Amino acid sequence: MLWERAHIMEEVRTERKGGSPVPSRILTSNEVTARSFGSSSEFMQAKEPHVRLAKVSKAYDSHVVLADIDLDVSPGEFVVIVGRSGSGKSTLLNLIAGLDFASSGEIRLLGHSLTELTEEQRAKVRCHSLGFVFQFFNLIPTLTVAENIRLPMALNGIAKNEAKSRTNTLLHDLAMAECGQRFPEELSGGEQQRIAIARAMAHRPAVVLADEPTGNLDLETARDVLELLDQTCRAQGTTLIMATHSREVIGLADRVLTIRDSRLQEAER
Amino acid sequence: MIGLLPTASARFYLKHPWQLCLAVTGIALGVAVYVGVDLANDSARRAFELSENLVLGRTTHQLVGLDGSLPNAVYRELRIEHGPVVAAPIVEGQVRLSASPARRFTILGVDPLEELGFRGFSGFVPGRGVDLARLIVEPGSVLVPEALALDLGLANGSSLGLIAGGSVTSVQVVGTIREATLDPGGSSLPIVTDIATAQELLKTDAITRVDLVLSAEEVERLTALAIPGVRLLPAASRNATFSEISRAFRLNLTALSLLALLVGVFLIYATMSFAIVQRREIFGVLRALGVSRRQMLLSILLEAGVIGCAATVLGLVLGHGLAIGLIDLVLRTIGDLYFTATVIAAEPSALIYWKGLVIGVLTTLLAALAPALEAANTTPDAAMSRAALERTARKYSRSGAWLALPAVALGSLLFVAAPRSVLMGFAGLFCIIVSGALLIPLATTWLMRLAEPAAERAFGIPGSLAVRGVAASLSRTGVATAALSVAVATVIGVGLMIGSFRVSLSQWLDATLIADVYLSVSDSTTTPNAFDQTQLAAIEALPEVSGISLSRFTTLPTLYGELNVRAIRPGPRGWGLTLLGGSPPDSLRRLTAGEGVMVSEPYAYRRQLEIGDDLVLPTAEGDAAFLILGIFRDYITDSGAVLMPLNVYRRYWDDQSISGVGVYFQDSVDRAPSREAIRSLVTAEPSIRFRSNDMIRERSLEVFDRTFRITEVLRILAGIVAFLGLFSALLSIELERAREVAILRALGLTPRQLGTLALTQTGLLGLAAGLLAIPLGIVMAALLVFIINQRSFGWSMGLTLEPTSLLLGIALAFSAALLAGAYPAARAGRSSIVTQLREE
Repeated sequence: MLWERAHIMEEVRTERKGGSPVPSRILTSNEVTARSFGSSSEFMQAKEPHVRLAKVSKAYDSHVVLADIDLDVSPGEFVVIVGRSGSGKSTLLNLIAGLDFASSGEIRLLGHSLTELTEEQRAKVRCHSLGFVFQFFNLIPTLTVAENIRLPMALNGIAKNEAKSRTNTLLHDLAMAECGQRFPEELSGGEQQRIAIARAMAHRPAVVLADEPTGNLDLETARDVLELLDQTCRAQGTTLIMATHSREVIGLADRVLTIRDSRLQEAER
Repeated sequence: MIGLLPTASARFYLKHPWQLCLAVTGIALGVAVYVGVDLANDSARRAFELSENLVLGRTTHQLVGLDGSLPNAVYRELRIEHGPVVAAPIVEGQVRLSASPARRFTILGVDPLEELGFRGFSGFVPGRGVDLARLIVEPGSVLVPEALALDLGLANGSSLGLIAGGSVTSVQVVGTIREATLDPGGSSLPIVTDIATAQELLKTDAITRVDLVLSAEEVERLTALAIPGVRLLPAASRNATFSEISRAFRLNLTALSLLALLVGVFLIYATMSFAIVQRREIFGVLRALGVSRRQMLLSILLEAGVIGCAATVLGLVLGHGLAIGLIDLVLRTIGDLYFTATVIAAEPSALIYWKGLVIGVLTTLLAALAPALEAANTTPDAAMSRAALERTARKYSRSGAWLALPAVALGSLLFVAAPRSVLMGFAGLFCIIVSGALLIPLATTWLMRLAEPAAERAFGIPGSLAVRGVAASLSRTGVATAALSVAVATVIGVGLMIGSFRVSLSQWLDATLIADVYLSVSDSTTTPNAFDQTQLAAIEALPEVSGISLSRFTTLPTLYGELNVRAIRPGPRGWGLTLLGGSPPDSLRRLTAGEGVMVSEPYAYRRQLEIGDDLVLPTAEGDAAFLILGIFRDYITDSGAVLMPLNVYRRYWDDQSISGVGVYFQDSVDRAPSREAIRSLVTAEPSIRFRSNDMIRERSLEVFDRTFRITEVLRILAGIVAFLGLFSALLSIELERAREVAILRALGLTPRQLGTLALTQTGLLGLAAGLLAIPLGIVMAALLVFIINQRSFGWSMGLTLEPTSLLLGIALAFSAALLAGAYPAARAGRSSIVTQLREE
């Protein structure tokens, strides 16, 4: 089995047994992923970037959206991709997440070539190692706020009590402790996006992909959401790749890239 | 702007062809079943009318004898001394073909000259080359049904051997008759001959009846004559019981078809409301853009009307096809139920198609009205909110449950207010079904709450999500579950009713068939003395025989129709009666002592007779009153019967003949060789029929199964409608979840987990619907057994809860649900997440 997640999570739990109720040190997703892939994995030995794209192109029929994209994103890095509407930012994120397929080239996520994985395996990579923040929040409408946050933890086999505790901490940190039992539609856009960020971070993924996370929010709320995302990712050492229009984020990012004429290039800051 | 509303609707369906297909299927199936049954029913009704015309023509009254025959002298006296009256003598009996003894025909002896003034052969017409003059002048000449002539290759002048009264007579074919209307078999037509030939064939010098066309004055004059042993009856009264029962039978069929339509209505409601609630966001946007409530409502109803029309037309075509199969089944059932050979098929009225069209379109509009009103009356922002919709659905599920109480009360009131009305019985039943349907959404939420821990343990987070999805999407799942439960409850209810009836019949047969062998005369009118005393003494003297019972089965003409009379001298095991009410041992003792008679349950119910009442019967000495000592269960016929000791019958009707003998074996003897011993004693007399109690039992259950085949077919049809309806509703729900599925996939749910999620969700819905259908189905069965059947046929019976019927219902719901989940489950891993997220 490629990802012995249950075993890893057991280790996580074992480490916590001697400590305080709020763990003194929870394994980061990088560590979990590394252990999942095996301690002798090429990925850990070579310190390979979390995300590597080599000569990646994407075309819909004859319309080329992305051409010859090369990109390396290091662990813990915060990369922002800007560009005009329809330039291919979302497509690039979808390719990195394994939600879509490149027409050519190779995409490696956490050391593994996505094109070589089956749908089942790609789903597992997303489940364990990726967090996704969408422009339209995409919370599950039939689950409460707390259940939405618990969902990725439940998918990762994290014990119920632990998941509940983490959810409460996250809700408390977001100053939304009283919203746990409400349904997504009962929240404002900004609140929904904060919950979406909490959901993306709850299982401590190695990489978070954010597709226009502030596209639907006012300036002030957008700033709050960006800061929250930045701080949370940096605190956990999570790699963050964000596609956005927002100029606010440029100052926070480690690197800013732009897509112009289907090609990815460094942007002027 | 407003012209664009229909365009938006049309584009929605073009983009969601599945949705359109499922909506059309739901409506078409509902209409098809209703129209199919209605067409078959109408054909049966017209067949009754045609058959009646065939027999009666212009006849207003009939002169009949108490023993089924009239002396020639009566007719002669009528014509000479009481004329001039329009009168036609009829001799009627049964014959068999010597070439094929299994084929029975009615032989109708008429006076061709008088006959033309009566019927003019209205029901049948002379075929090609018929020579009516030869029929009049040549003895032994007959007209045969055209189909028979074709079948046997008979031409004018051909000889035909007929068996009547145990001997073979050759007659000459002088022409054919054919049905004036559709009759594919042709076997229901009689062989027509003149009076003398018929009397010769049937070995009788009497006539069966005299048909009369009388004025009111003539009726008075003839009634005053009071000829001993002869009754003047209105022509319609002979068929009164038959018509009443056939009405009940047809009402039952109509009700079953309405039940199927009700299932269809639920499905139509489910599909239409689903198609509407799914677009609440679009409607919200349109309302925000300035579309008024009225415009919105009209637009939705226009859409429903167009879909309803198209689907109904499809339903009419399907219904027509269905009717072709059903007509034959209905006619055969009537034949089996009422032992009549005169029912012929008839073209159904075109009005039914129009009625089906109106019902189909109106039902669709009505089904669309509630969700359309809700969508049009909601504020634009709320219309766009799914949470608001689900809140409303939850609110409705609670208020719906409260509404169930008045629905039950109304149903009960209808049962009580008109305690004998079949129609009100069905109306009450529908109220109960509706109340059950109203309770189901709330009950589903409760069941899901109970199921959640187990589902989570079994399937992990997908299991929990599935359960949550059902309860949280009540706007979709509530109606689907209610529709499915009603459909499955119908399948269960009708199944239990048939099962209960069969068990009751089987128990009744065990209690009634107490003799080991039954000997009967195949046609007692032509062979009244088939049993002679020497033969009976020989049977009784056999060492293995412990005794015999004697019976005379005949009919009496009464104002309420023909009444079956069973005169019995019981054998060593008693009367073999199942008595209802009163004190059975006392009643039987008094019956044996000749103090009165017993009446069958259907007859007592129909005539509202009770123990202790007097029953007036026409006897040879005029009308006589008989004390009713008891009411016995009787599943032989629902047209009514009276039972009395043989000696009482002989005393009042002066008829010494025997039509049946029951032979009782000693308890210790071996049954099979004893039966053969009896058989060998009676083989010499061809008109005596030999049947063991096992044979009668088997044959009775066979007839029962055939009789209820139409009900079975309707049950299966309701099942198919339910299956497809559920399939479409659940498939719609799952397809609507495409966005949610895409989000879950993006979050890392594997295709296998998503498949489990879809199957768990639909499976749970199916299981919930199946479980909830059980109590509703049992209630339906109880109402069908204790109210509808009692009122329709006068039969009472016990309710037997067969586990097979209950399990079948759950299996139906569960399998349809799993099948509905299979497609989305298979699709889950294959479709593009990006496309789904973008599209939605």
